Amino acid sequence: ALEFPILEKKNWLIHLHYIRKDYEACKAVIKEQLQETQGLCEYAIYVQALIFRLEGNIQESLELFQTCAVLSPQSADNLKQVARSLFLLGKHKAAIEVYNEAAKLNQKDWEICHNLGVCYIYLKQFNKAQDQLHHALHLNRHDLTYIMLGKIHLLAGDLDKAIEIYKKAVEFSPENTELLTTLGLLYLQVGFYKKAFEHLGNALTYDPINYKAILAAGSMMQTHGDFDVALTKYRVIASAVPESPPLWNNIGMCFFGKKKYVAAISCLKRANYLAPFDWKILYNLGLVHLTMQQYASAFHFLSAAINFQPKMGELYMLLAVALTNLEDTENAKRAYAEAVRLDKYNPLVNLNYAVLLYNQGEKRDALAQYQEMEKKVNLLKDSSSLEYDSEMVEMAQKLGAALQVGEALVWTKPVKDPKSKQRTTSTSKAASFQQPLGSNQALGQAMSSAAAYSKLPSVKIMISLGILEQEFKSPSLPLELEPVEACPTEAPAQIREK
Amino acid sequence: MAAASPLDFDSGKAESNEASSKWLDAHYDPLANIHTFSACLALADLHGDGESKLVVGDLGPGGQQPRLKVLKGPRVLTESPLPELPAAAATFLKDQHEPRTPALALASGPCVYVYKNLRPYFKFSLPQLPANPLEEDLWNQAKEDRIDPVTLKEMLEDIREKAEVPLSVQSLRFLQLELSEMEAFVNQHKSKAIKRQTVITTMTTLKKNLADEDAVSCLVLGTENKELLVLDPEAFTTLATMSLPSVPVFLEVSGQFDVEFRLAAACRNGNIYILRRDSKCPKYCIELSAQPVGLVRVHKVLVVGSNQDSLHGFTHKGKRLWTVQMPAAILTMNLLEQHSRGLQAVMAGLANGEVRIYHDKTLLNVIRTPDAVTSLCFGRFGREDNTLIMTTRGGGLIIKILKRTAVFVEGGGELGPPPAQATKLSVPRKTRLYVDQTLREREAGTAMHRTFQTDLYLLRLRAARAYVQALESSLSPVSATAREPLKLHAVVQGLGPTFKLTLHLQNTSTARPILGLLICFLYNEALYALPRAFFKVPLLVPGLSYPLETFVESLSDKGISDIIKVLVLREG
Repeated sequence: ALEFPILEKKNWLIHLHYIRKDYEACKAVIKEQLQETQGLCEYAIYVQALIFRLEGNIQESLELFQTCAVLSPQSADNLKQVARSLFLLGKHKAAIEVYNEAAKLNQKDWEICHNLGVCYIYLKQFNKAQDQLHHALHLNRHDLTYIMLGKIHLLAGDLDKAIEIYKKAVEFSPENTELLTTLGLLYLQVGFYKKAFEHLGNALTYDPINYKAILAAGSMMQTHGDFDVALTKYRVIASAVPESPPLWNNIGMCFFGKKKYVAAISCLKRANYLAPFDWKILYNLGLVHLTMQQYASAFHFLSAAINFQPKMGELYMLLAVALTNLEDTENAKRAYAEAVRLDKYNPLVNLNYAVLLYNQGEKRDALAQYQEMEKKVNLLKDSSSLEYDSEMVEMAQKLGAALQVGEALVWTKPVKDPKSKQRTTSTSKAASFQQPLGSNQALGQAMSSAAAYSKLPSVKIMISLGILEQEFKSPSLPLELEPVEACPTEAPAQIREK
Repeated sequence: MAAASPLDFDSGKAESNEASSKWLDAHYDPLANIHTFSACLALADLHGDGESKLVVGDLGPGGQQPRLKVLKGPRVLTESPLPELPAAAATFLKDQHEPRTPALALASGPCVYVYKNLRPYFKFSLPQLPANPLEEDLWNQAKEDRIDPVTLKEMLEDIREKAEVPLSVQSLRFLQLELSEMEAFVNQHKSKAIKRQTVITTMTTLKKNLADEDAVSCLVLGTENKELLVLDPEAFTTLATMSLPSVPVFLEVSGQFDVEFRLAAACRNGNIYILRRDSKCPKYCIELSAQPVGLVRVHKVLVVGSNQDSLHGFTHKGKRLWTVQMPAAILTMNLLEQHSRGLQAVMAGLANGEVRIYHDKTLLNVIRTPDAVTSLCFGRFGREDNTLIMTTRGGGLIIKILKRTAVFVEGGGELGPPPAQATKLSVPRKTRLYVDQTLREREAGTAMHRTFQTDLYLLRLRAARAYVQALESSLSPVSATAREPLKLHAVVQGLGPTFKLTLHLQNTSTARPILGLLICFLYNEALYALPRAFFKVPLLVPGLSYPLETFVESLSDKGISDIIKVLVLREG
C-alpha cells in the first residue's frame, strides 16, 4: 500500500514565506501542499486564510478559518482567528461568542481578553470592555491594551482617567511615540502646557518626524509667539505630509504672527483648498482679511465659516466687524445680537457691540452691553487670573468714560476716538492677538472640537489644531448680511423684496 | 579610507560608493540560481585544507529542485540532489579525532543527513510519535473486521473532537471519504500500523562541554510537533527533549550542553520562549504581538526582527531594551562577527534592497544591493576572514569582503535633525495682479460688496423665475403625491419617421420601492402612432434609473410636430 505523505512537511516553508511577506511564493507552496494532502494540511489552510485576510477577502478567510477549526477543534488559535475575521466583518457579537469559546480553551491569553475588550468597545459596553482590558493587562502588558483602555475613557469623556492610563503606559514603554504624543495632547486639552510640551518633546526625540507631535508642539510654540521655531518644525512635516490642511493652517497663522500677511493668506488659502469644509481655516482667513482691511473678502470667508459652524459667538462678532466696515449697520447689529446670544464668556463681543451701538447713538443699549461685559469680566476674574489685552482694556475704559460722563461731554470725541483707534487697531492687531485671553481659550476650543471629530474615525485622536485668533475692533458702517441665511439670526427684509 | 570618514555613517551617505565603502566587491553573479534562506547557509573548512567553503542547501527555483551545493570561491565545487527541501544546514565538529574537519548536517523533512568530507555519513530520522491508543485500538478492531466503517468513522470523529493527541494521517484521510469508498479504504490500509511522523523546522548547534571555537557540538532540532531535541554528536541519540507551546521557527543557543545553556526559540505564535538547561518547558516568554522574522544573539542581547518592520532588543530574561524602526520589511537576519576587532553586530536584509548593520540600536553601515537580499552569512570564506555572502530574491549571489582597515564606529549612525528641516517651505507666490486687486478691494470694498449682493439677488431671482417656469410648463415633471417620489425624464432619438422615445424613470425615495405604476401616453392620433399607449411599470427599486423604451411613428408627411404627454399613474 502507498505511504501517506506527512501533512506538515512544508509548514516551515510556508511560514518562512509568510513572514517575509512573499505571498506569491507562499500561495504556490500552499497550493502544492494542499494538493498533496487533499486539503488536510491545517497550517496551509490557516496561512492561506491569513493571506486572504491581508488581501481584504475577509469572508473567504473566515470560511477557511472555520475549516481549520473543524480540522482541529481543540486549537484556541483557530477560534481566535475566526473571531478576528468576524470582528473585521463588523459582526462584533458573533466575534465575542467565538472569543468566549476560545477563552475556554486558553485561559491565560491576553490577546483574547484584549480583543474581547475591543469588541465590547464597538458594542458600546464600556464597563465590560474595561474589565476585559484590565484583565488583559493583568495577564500581560501591551501598549495596545493601554491605548484601547485610554480610548474608552476618552469616549466616556473622562480625560483624567485617560491621562492616568496613558501615564502608566508611558511608564511601561517610554519609547512609544504614539503613547507619548497622545499623552501630550491630553495634557494640552486639560491645560497642563508644561507637561504636554515635555511629552511631545520626548516623542519628537524618538521620532523626529512624528506628524501629530510636531503639529501639536508647533501650535504650542505658536501660542507662545515662537513663530520661527514653529516654522522650522513645520518644515519637517511639510515635506512629509504636504497635503495636510491643519499644517498649512498653522503655517499660515505663523506668517500672520510674523506680519507676513500675503504669505499667510497664501498658506491659508492652500489649507482651505485642501479642506474646504473646515470652518477653522475659514475663520482664520476671515480674520487675516479683516486685518488686511479686505472687508468684502472677509465677509465671504466668515459667512462660509458660520454656515459650517453656526454655534460660535466669535464668528458672528467678526462678521459684524466686517459688516460694520462694509457700512451695513443693520445687519452688523443683527450679527452682534446673535453673537451675544451665543457667547457666554468673551467680553470682547459685548464691548464691540457696545461701541457700535454707541457710535450709532443708541446710548442706552450700549450701556446695557457695557454692563454685560463688566459682568463677564468679573466672572472671568473670579474663575481664573487671565490677563486682558491692554488695548481692549483701554478701549473699555474710554467707552465707559464716554457712556458715564454723559451726552454733554462731546459727542464727537468718543466717536472719533474709537474710529481713529480702529485704524491703529487693525494694524497693531496682529501684535496683540496672542494674549492668553484669546488664544488659550481658542486653543481649548479647537482641541475639543478636534476631539469631537476624533470620535468618528476609530482609534486615533486626530489633531487639527487650528489656531484661532481673537479680534477686537471698533465699528464703522453698513451693508447686508445674506449668504448666512442658514443661521437663525436674520432674514433681512430686502431679500424678499428684491 | 572609510575609517577616516565618520560622515560615511549618515544614512544618506552610507551607500557603498567605491572610495569610502568598507566593502570590497568580490563577486556578483545575478544568475547564480541559488534560492535559499539564511538558515541553509553555512561556512566551514570541510576538507581541512585551510580553505573555508560555503555550503548551500538550495531549494531550487520555485522550491522544485532541492540541491546541496558547495561553493569554493565563486565556483560550485560539488552539487548533489536532495530528496526533500532543506530546512536548515549546519556545520559542527562531531568528535575529537584528527584531522579535525567539521561534519555537515542538513535537516530535511523528518531526517538529518550528516556528511563527512562531503560524503554521506549518517542519516538520523526523528522518532515516530506515539499514536493515540484509542485510535490504534480502533484500527486493530478494523483489522479483525470487528467494526464496520461507519462506526469506525463515528468513533474517530469522536476522538478528533476531544483527544489531546491528534489523529494520524490515515485516520484523517479516512474521515474525509464518502460512504462508498470507506470499505475499500479500510481493506487497503487496515493491516498497516498507525504512524505519526513529524518534520524538522529548524536546527542549530550547541557546544557540548567546552566553550572553545573548535569544541564538539550537539545538534539542536526544532520539530513541527512543538518540541526541541538535543542530539548527541557521536551516537546521534536524543540527549534531551523540551516542549514548547508552539512550533519553533528560529533558534538561538548559547552556553554548553553539559554545563549550562540558554535556548531562545522564536515560535509561530509570535512569541519567543527562553529555556535553560534544567527546564523542560519555557522559563521566560517574550510576546511580540507580531511574527518574528529573525532571531540573533549579540553578546547577551537577543535581537528580534518582527514583520512590522522593526528590530527589538531583549535581555535573556525577556525584558525589552530597545526598538528600532526599519524603512522596509525585514527579509532575513544574521550575525556579523569580526573576530579581529571583537565586534558583533546584526545584519538585516530588507525588502527595499538594503542590508543594514546594527550594533544595538545604532546603525553602523548600510549596503545597497541590486536586488532584495533573502539570505545572509558572514564569516571566513576561502582564505578571507571577513566575508559577507548574500543571496538575492532573484537567485543571485553577492560576495563582499570587509576591508581590513574598515572600522565600524559606534554612534556614527546617530541622526541629527531630519534633512527636511533645512528645506524651505514652498509658500505659494502671489502675483502682482493679486496685490493690485487687494489694493482695489481696500479702496472700494463697500462698493464691491454691494454690487456682489445685488448680483446675487438678481441671480436668485432669475433662478426662482426659471424654476417657476419649469414647474408651469412641466418640463421637468414632479410627482403629484408625496408618497411616490419619482423622477421622469424623456429622450427622443432618431431621424424619423420612426423615433425612439426613451423614458428614464427613477424612484427617488430613500428606502421604499414603488409597485403598481402605469404609464400612459397622450398624443394626437392623426400625427403619431405608438405600439402601446398604455403599459405597466415594473417594480421601482429606490435610486435606480429605469429606461423604458417605446417607438413612435410619425404619420404625417407635412413635417408637423405635436406634443406627446407622458403620464405616470398609480393603479386604481
